[in-house]
Amino acid sequence: MMLLKLAWLNIWRNKRRTIITTTSVFFAVLLAVTTRSMTDGVYENMIHNIVGYSSGYLQIHQYGYWDEQSIDNTFEENGELNQKLLKNPKVKNIMPRLNTFALASYSEKTKGVLVLGIDPIKEKEVNNLDQKISKGTYLESENENAIVLGEGLAAQLKLSVNDSLVLLGQGYHASSAAAKFKVKGIIKLGSPDLNNNIVYIPLRQAQYMYGAENRLTAISILTDKNTNLEKLKVSLQGLLDSDRYEVMTWKEMIPEMDQFIEADSTGQYIIIGVLYFLISFGLFGTLLMMIFERKHELGILIAIGMKKHLLALILMLESIMIALIGCLTGVLGGMLVVTWFNKNPIHFTGELKEIYENYGIESIMYFSNSANIFVVQTLIVLILAIVLAFYPGYTVMKLKPIDAINS
Amino acid sequence: MAKTIIDAHNLSKTYNADTVPVKAVQDVHIHIEEGEFVALVGPSGSGKSTLLNMIGGLDEPTSGSVVLDQVEITKLPENKLIDFRLHNIGFVFQSYNLIPVLTAKENVGFVLQLQKIPKEEREKRVLNLLHQVGLEDKLNSRPGELSGGQQQRVAVARALASKPKIVLADEPTANLDSKSTANLLDIMAKLNKEEKTTFLFSTHDIRVIQKARRVITLVDGKVESDVQQTPK
Repeated sequence: MMLLKLAWLNIWRNKRRTIITTTSVFFAVLLAVTTRSMTDGVYENMIHNIVGYSSGYLQIHQYGYWDEQSIDNTFEENGELNQKLLKNPKVKNIMPRLNTFALASYSEKTKGVLVLGIDPIKEKEVNNLDQKISKGTYLESENENAIVLGEGLAAQLKLSVNDSLVLLGQGYHASSAAAKFKVKGIIKLGSPDLNNNIVYIPLRQAQYMYGAENRLTAISILTDKNTNLEKLKVSLQGLLDSDRYEVMTWKEMIPEMDQFIEADSTGQYIIIGVLYFLISFGLFGTLLMMIFERKHELGILIAIGMKKHLLALILMLESIMIALIGCLTGVLGGMLVVTWFNKNPIHFTGELKEIYENYGIESIMYFSNSANIFVVQTLIVLILAIVLAFYPGYTVMKLKPIDAINS
Repeated sequence: MAKTIIDAHNLSKTYNADTVPVKAVQDVHIHIEEGEFVALVGPSGSGKSTLLNMIGGLDEPTSGSVVLDQVEITKLPENKLIDFRLHNIGFVFQSYNLIPVLTAKENVGFVLQLQKIPKEEREKRVLNLLHQVGLEDKLNSRPGELSGGQQQRVAVARALASKPKIVLADEPTANLDSKSTANLLDIMAKLNKEEKTTFLFSTHDIRVIQKARRVITLVDGKVESDVQQTPK
């Protein structure tokens, strides 16, 4: 208690200097938290938009499907397999899917599209797919002879709700697949890529059209955002017959998105690193001033019987206190900014909107309010303060009382 | 027979030994018994402070040894030496050297906290000491709010807080006016008498010298005289 009190009183000896140093830490943390929240928000949203509405976080395929994505490499629906998967506590839900390609034709327009045979009820429960409908209505059952398609695709084909769309493709074991569906709804997805290519068909209708009754290309697995996917993958692999099934994470299925996030994150880390590097100099300067100004006093304290490691500890506490004041106020300020933007994401318009969409990213900037961001920034500043305090501590340990007293 | 409390033997200190050697203290023998009230006098540069610092374990002698209360402090490792000072030596410095952010009460209690004395006992002892130095009304004043004389009285109370066997004072009255000096000397003499604490102080001040029962004179780092006297 004595050390804490002494450290606290010491940092306020030179109020102006302490305020300047804590303010610099405050702005660094505020900036770091806001930037991190913004990028994480963008990444989370990107993952949710692409992964959530297409691949899922993990997928089970027939072994070899991913290398040769053909309708021939499907597997039979299997209740036992479903039960096994659902027994894992990390698996929150499973969604059967038949994922393939087709030529979509309406009037004089024809376009290659991504066909996703889904269980509409499950997708509604899990992904709130129904809430993405911008025109018309959502699918009602697995057997309904209707489709919903991406807004971009509808615009390209120039069709609207209640029009009929013809799909042509290759069915199971080289059979020909063709069917006409009524457009029941038009869906607006966050990912422009999906928006321009996707057609959702009720699963049974898709299986019927492709001659692949009771067959699936994938079981998509839903899990918590924070689940370690690699660990879950290994644990699921242990449950399944590895000669029949393969388990893949979204990072393996969409490596370009993972690489994009990684490359973009690196840039962010460098900027934040430079920011903290500059702040370190400010904090270090303050610590040096604190020790040189008080060298005589430190000598006196050693003379009257204070052990050097206790003095070093006081200096470390002073460093931590200055950093923590700046950091906690910065985190608090960051929380306010992030909470506001989390509720009011930034909608880009004009050229910026186009640029984002050309990159396949939704033109809305979301902010993540994950506790992890705040904890990590606090820890970084805390570690920085402790590391920087080593030098004053080292100086104290080397101090000769008589030299310090005479300084 | 009184117990020997300070025994400095063949004590020497040479600065700049490798370049231009300056012999600050040369082959000094001092033997002080428990309860003595000793003045260390001499002109500026005679080696008083250096000798005092070596006796207090703040400075290392070039040669010789210092034995305090039968412990040869010149051979103690650093941490044990700091511990020894904490429990056995009280320091009073020329320029008070109190901790500026702590009150008078906290400054005096600081050494007791380092000794891990329980709070109740600590409070009692601090109040008693500040009462003895006549500062019972300044308990919560910070050093900046006290006069030089008051600060030095707090420093004396701090030096005595841990009930040390020895108090070493380096020109304790150098920055004080005559009234404060007389007051401080009375306090030190009283504590010396009542607590049997040994006092060794360096000084130029004739008023301080007159209060001492023994006066050791240093000239050019050597003991020139060592005489007993009746304090005035």
